[in-house]
Amino acid sequence: MSSHHLATPAFVIEPGQDPVTIFEKHRAELQRSRLFMNIAMAVLFALLLAVSIYVSKFYPDRLWAGLPRIFEYFGTVMPNLEADNLFAARQANGKAVPGSILYWYSDLGKYLQLLFETVLMAITATMLGAAIAFLLSFPAARNLAPLRWINVLARRTTEVLRGVPEIIIALLLVFALGIGPLAGVLAIAIHTAGALGKLFSEVNENASMRPVEGLRSVGGTWWDEMRFGIVPQVLPNFVSYSLLRFEINVRSSSIVGFVGAGGIGQELNHTISFYNDDRVMAVLILIVLLVTVIDLISERLRTHLVGRENLI
Amino acid sequence: MLEFSGLTKAFGNHKAVNNITLTIPQGQMVGVIGRSGAGKSTLLRMINRLAAPTEGQIRFDGRDVSALKGRDLLAWRSECAMVFQQFNLVGRMSVINNVLMGRIFHHSFATAMLQAFSAEERALAIRALDRLGMAHTALQRAETLSGGQMQRVAIARALVQRPKVMLADEPIASLDPLNAKVVMDALRRINQEDGITVLANLHTLDTARTYCDRIVGLMSGAVVFDGTPDQLTDRQAREIYGAEADDAFSEGVTSTMLTPRAQAADTFDSAA
Amino acid sequence: MSAVKAMTVSAADIAAARAQFPDAFGNPRARLFTAICWALALGYFGWSLWYFEFWKLFAFNERAIRMFQHFFVWEHMGEWDYAGIYQGLAETIAMAFLGTLLGSVAALLIAFAAARNTMPRNIVRHVVRRFLDLLRGIDSLIWALVFVRAVGLGPLAGVLSIFVSDTGTLSKLYSEAIENVDRKQVEGIRSTGASPIRIMRFGYLPQISPVFISLSLYSFESSVRSATILGIVGAGGIGKVLVDRFRAGYFDQVAFVVLNILICVFVIDWLSGKVRAHFIGEKPH
Repeated sequence: MSSHHLATPAFVIEPGQDPVTIFEKHRAELQRSRLFMNIAMAVLFALLLAVSIYVSKFYPDRLWAGLPRIFEYFGTVMPNLEADNLFAARQANGKAVPGSILYWYSDLGKYLQLLFETVLMAITATMLGAAIAFLLSFPAARNLAPLRWINVLARRTTEVLRGVPEIIIALLLVFALGIGPLAGVLAIAIHTAGALGKLFSEVNENASMRPVEGLRSVGGTWWDEMRFGIVPQVLPNFVSYSLLRFEINVRSSSIVGFVGAGGIGQELNHTISFYNDDRVMAVLILIVLLVTVIDLISERLRTHLVGRENLI
Repeated sequence: MLEFSGLTKAFGNHKAVNNITLTIPQGQMVGVIGRSGAGKSTLLRMINRLAAPTEGQIRFDGRDVSALKGRDLLAWRSECAMVFQQFNLVGRMSVINNVLMGRIFHHSFATAMLQAFSAEERALAIRALDRLGMAHTALQRAETLSGGQMQRVAIARALVQRPKVMLADEPIASLDPLNAKVVMDALRRINQEDGITVLANLHTLDTARTYCDRIVGLMSGAVVFDGTPDQLTDRQAREIYGAEADDAFSEGVTSTMLTPRAQAADTFDSAA
Repeated sequence: MSAVKAMTVSAADIAAARAQFPDAFGNPRARLFTAICWALALGYFGWSLWYFEFWKLFAFNERAIRMFQHFFVWEHMGEWDYAGIYQGLAETIAMAFLGTLLGSVAALLIAFAAARNTMPRNIVRHVVRRFLDLLRGIDSLIWALVFVRAVGLGPLAGVLSIFVSDTGTLSKLYSEAIENVDRKQVEGIRSTGASPIRIMRFGYLPQISPVFISLSLYSFESSVRSATILGIVGAGGIGKVLVDRFRAGYFDQVAFVVLNILICVFVIDWLSGKVRAHFIGEKPH
């Protein structure tokens, strides 16, 4: 509450009045109004806290009872590694030695195949979603839409598409299309189309309209105006946002499997729900690694691409 | 021949252009002068229909262009080129592609989207750039150019439209004196060599006097002077410019002649 | 009246221009490169659709059509368990609120250990940061699944999962805010002869507290979104209501619940914007 008060003085000292008295009076007023707002906020906060605790039954005794179980659980999912056998090779009968990494990751082949599928899902969904978002972003930008109702329609479309969480869309699509990655890809693509559609249209709204006017003056159509007046300006931002979204989508594609929509999530759900052993940790570590590696690659790509000259 | 009859543009109750009737023969170079807000830009933007007239007609060679719609409207815009104060180029595109945008009307949706310009069009663009002394920058990005260079590229874009009329909306208001002279010389040369009608909004009287065959003075959207530069007396000019007279007169000197540094810098500041 | 002499080009002009600026006529190498890029992208896209068995899309079965019909045709609305639905919605908001609150408190402590200007020991800072990366790298839904196994079904697991992922996110954002503190203001306070605690109170706190509140509010908004789905793995909230209705085949109620989630998220965003405006003085977007 500071800078924007500078333009208009909060109180004016008339000639002949005592500045201190006026200041004190003003200060008292200000404090009263502040105090009221702050008390209101505090009461609201306390109320919300109480209701939240009541509704979610987040009572201290439950928490204390739960805490040891959390540590206990993490104890059970820790791998049982033995220093001596850590790098032990398979035995003659083809079985891995208990306590070795090989034993811990005996399902590695399956995991890798699922990780591969997870990344493919994220890439395809990002491509599909970004393509739809690209098409939506021009009518959804207030300054570019050819007609008002088209603008409203496009904006509502992006809002609905991004409003529903992808896992809920995935749930419905698995029911409609059957178990498998297709439902996941489509669900993530739909959500991506909405989320990127909004971001893209905001970029479009910030673009300079001068090139558009230039294109119009030479007799270009609306499509020409978009293609040459806007796209060259916004493309680097679009690419950057799409890569950021890709990072998010890798996370999403690793969880849509919880509802049967493909990817590593299906395996994670399975291991957590049915086994109480180190396989849980094995899959979790792989997911964290995947997400970290993808973030690193995508960041590299982003700085590389945006810095480049000819993106048009 | 370009004819306006009763041309009016109203924004709410305010009439930016009020009942203008004029006839401009083919090949004339006309300077439109007036203080800011006199309706100069609105008039020009109505001619190639970036703005729609509220009342009245614009006729070109007998054809009513103020009623055009759809493809015919785009065709008219492609015949009636426009040069802007801020150049309106696509910054991230190469100079030659910017110039080729002048041919976009003649392309189908697919060839336009793919930028599939013919060799003839490309050669035309290079020739147009060459006429303005800009051919050497053809493969650079437009945003790497200076203001004066950008305006010359914009004029090259207008040229490849093979227009009959060229509108210039304050073409030199954002330029320093030297570049202003280069750009005005180019417009005058195009007018004389190609026989293209040039209509330019000019904020400086001296430029208009030096380059134009005919001067039209606007005040509150109406024509208050129409004649040759010789016919325009100082008294009339002062009346047209009103409170801005001193600026217009002194800037007139600085923007067409090379002057001492201080004055040049002053002009640039007031333009920017 | 003179006639217009439009610019023309002869064959000689074309040849001359081509000789002078060969690249202006399309660089065949660049064109090939672009074509290959497009071919690769489209090729990948087509292949991946095939890999994902896209033809299933066109094999829409009876029950799918029934599902979509029920999204729009709502039946027996009088018999719906509205109390259960709104209880679930309240639970969702409660989970998000408690999780964000606890996460903010934890982040308040951790952030100082992750900021460069308050934690001079590089090793500690790096360990803390990697730990935070780990918390953030695992999606809140995965945390929920883990906590459901650990503490059982219900909102407690939801609160914990939001707490953990918010701790990761907020600690990082808080520490960035601490690093961005304006040193000049701190020096100004120090120059008045203030004690270290007063320097904290008047030099640091006024700068970081509005940022912290704003970040926590943003975090709350995003937590409400993630809390809506935690019920899918049994961690309480509206997600559980949704999945129950879905499994039972009440698709009209599913549509109703989704609509309620959309409205709820919208209202929370709007309210949070208002509160932010009160604390920061920034206009709500």
